[in-house]
Amino acid sequence: MPEILCCFKWLIDESYIRASSSGELDLETVDYKLSNYDRNAIEESVRLQEEYGGTVSAITVGLPDSTKGVKDALSRGPEKAYFINDDSFENLEPSQTAAILADIISSQINYDLIICGEGSSDLYAQQVGPRLAEKLGIPCISYIQKVQIEGDRIVAEKKVEDGIEVISAPMPVLLTVLPDINTPRIPGLKDTLGASKKPVINISKDDLTVSYEAKIHTNAIIAASMERNCQKFGSETEDIANLARALAKEGVIK
Amino acid sequence: MAGVWIFAENHTQGLELLNTGRILADKTGSRLLSFLWHDHQVAEDYLACGADEVLLLPPLEESQPLEAYIPVIVDELREGDADIFLLAATLRGKDLGARIASRLDTGLCSDCISLKLDEDNTRLEMERLVFGGAGIQKVFCSSRPQMATIPPGTFEAAVPANSRREGKIRELPSSPATAVKILEKKAKERKSANIKEARRVVCVGRGIEKEEDLAMVREFAQVLGAEIACTRPVSEEMRWLPEDLCIGLSGIEIKPDLYIGLGISGQVQHVIGIRDSKIICAVNSDENAPIFDVADYGIVGDLYDVLPRLHEELGKLL
Repeated sequence: MPEILCCFKWLIDESYIRASSSGELDLETVDYKLSNYDRNAIEESVRLQEEYGGTVSAITVGLPDSTKGVKDALSRGPEKAYFINDDSFENLEPSQTAAILADIISSQINYDLIICGEGSSDLYAQQVGPRLAEKLGIPCISYIQKVQIEGDRIVAEKKVEDGIEVISAPMPVLLTVLPDINTPRIPGLKDTLGASKKPVINISKDDLTVSYEAKIHTNAIIAASMERNCQKFGSETEDIANLARALAKEGVIK
Repeated sequence: MAGVWIFAENHTQGLELLNTGRILADKTGSRLLSFLWHDHQVAEDYLACGADEVLLLPPLEESQPLEAYIPVIVDELREGDADIFLLAATLRGKDLGARIASRLDTGLCSDCISLKLDEDNTRLEMERLVFGGAGIQKVFCSSRPQMATIPPGTFEAAVPANSRREGKIRELPSSPATAVKILEKKAKERKSANIKEARRVVCVGRGIEKEEDLAMVREFAQVLGAEIACTRPVSEEMRWLPEDLCIGLSGIEIKPDLYIGLGISGQVQHVIGIRDSKIICAVNSDENAPIFDVADYGIVGDLYDVLPRLHEELGKLL
């Protein structure tokens, strides 16, 4: 029966981000959430457990105050969580996150299957999954839409530009899942209450045995501006005729 | 021997990377080397289009995935002491990029939309979108090779030089078979390909109340000669349209002359997919919907009331 580990990230909810007049992003008044694609990763882990048995654990790397995220993840079904946290774990770049995860997973956790979201909804670099697989020396099947377990192998449908590749790989395997693989269930009150009782294994920076210097350095994050007309019309017939004429004038209706 | 190496999945992407790669190689006074796996026939074209050397990857067995090339590519980049390595940001390209970067213990800028060398012509200054398209992250890579994956269509394709260019073609060794096997390949109906090339796109969001109402939108799209597309909730939650037609982050990005969004609020995850449209037009009943901040023209009104009249007015002009 498979031992499944799913990875998640607690991050800034981008729908709260506003650009200030100076072109900076205002990250002061934001709220946090569980990365969208990681909800699919957790859901798929739980779905596989329901079908094949086994265990589901969750793991994250983040700031010590991400406990709300750990609880959120646990409310979605995993039995326990590994919470690798330190005050310095802010703005880690993907190679660092992968190195930290790999170090802890290889030394402390048994697994047959690791499931990650295809990317995080903040940086969306889509690197942690494949990098983690490389560090652990296991196969990686990325961008999958469907997965099943057949004996000691994983069979997954991987999306590529010109269609789908049905891929088979021996476990242990790392998978990165696309959002269309499932519809994550929404935790109820009972799930949320139950999550508080589940074990959380706190892991600190002192437990790490590898170095993880940043390779990619961020000089700045600025607001992405779109130079647009932003001309609004009402819905009177005259307004609609004016809009149609405006589009014709732009040369896009002819 | 440092230099610039590139890897693409197909010919068009290859030409785009050759163009960018050539500029970087000239500025750094180094060579441009292109991997080539899909079609060895175009090796000469690659030389004409700017490559100094084309590296032929031996054909893979039917059951072998593209990742089988990873060890050969890694060896080549190590031996050549690559300074820059660019890959086309296809799904497989992004996976390959991350794994090669891990093996080379270097940094990777994913989905890089802009890159230029700094004043000393040594460090690549790269930009990418973050927070669902709300922000631009400016990064550089402190290790070598400096790596980036570049979305197809970001740069112009290289054109063959007028004068004959000299260059080498070298065959790379074959790769050991991977434990990962392709059991089957299922070709896709080419829906999203049409969308990507469409001059006009009509896109529906949550403002559409019932699946049956799509018929009205389809008629409208047909009159305009437009392709129909949707936001993620429509394909993923409602499942009214296939996921192939979903625009935005983790979906497809389009560049039509005219985009008309119907009942779309304009969440950043969607907007990232339409930002390169020439003209953005939106209909939404909420005058504060974020879509109006990124639209050239907007109609504030009930979709069901506006659409028939918009249909009629645009119809007059076509």
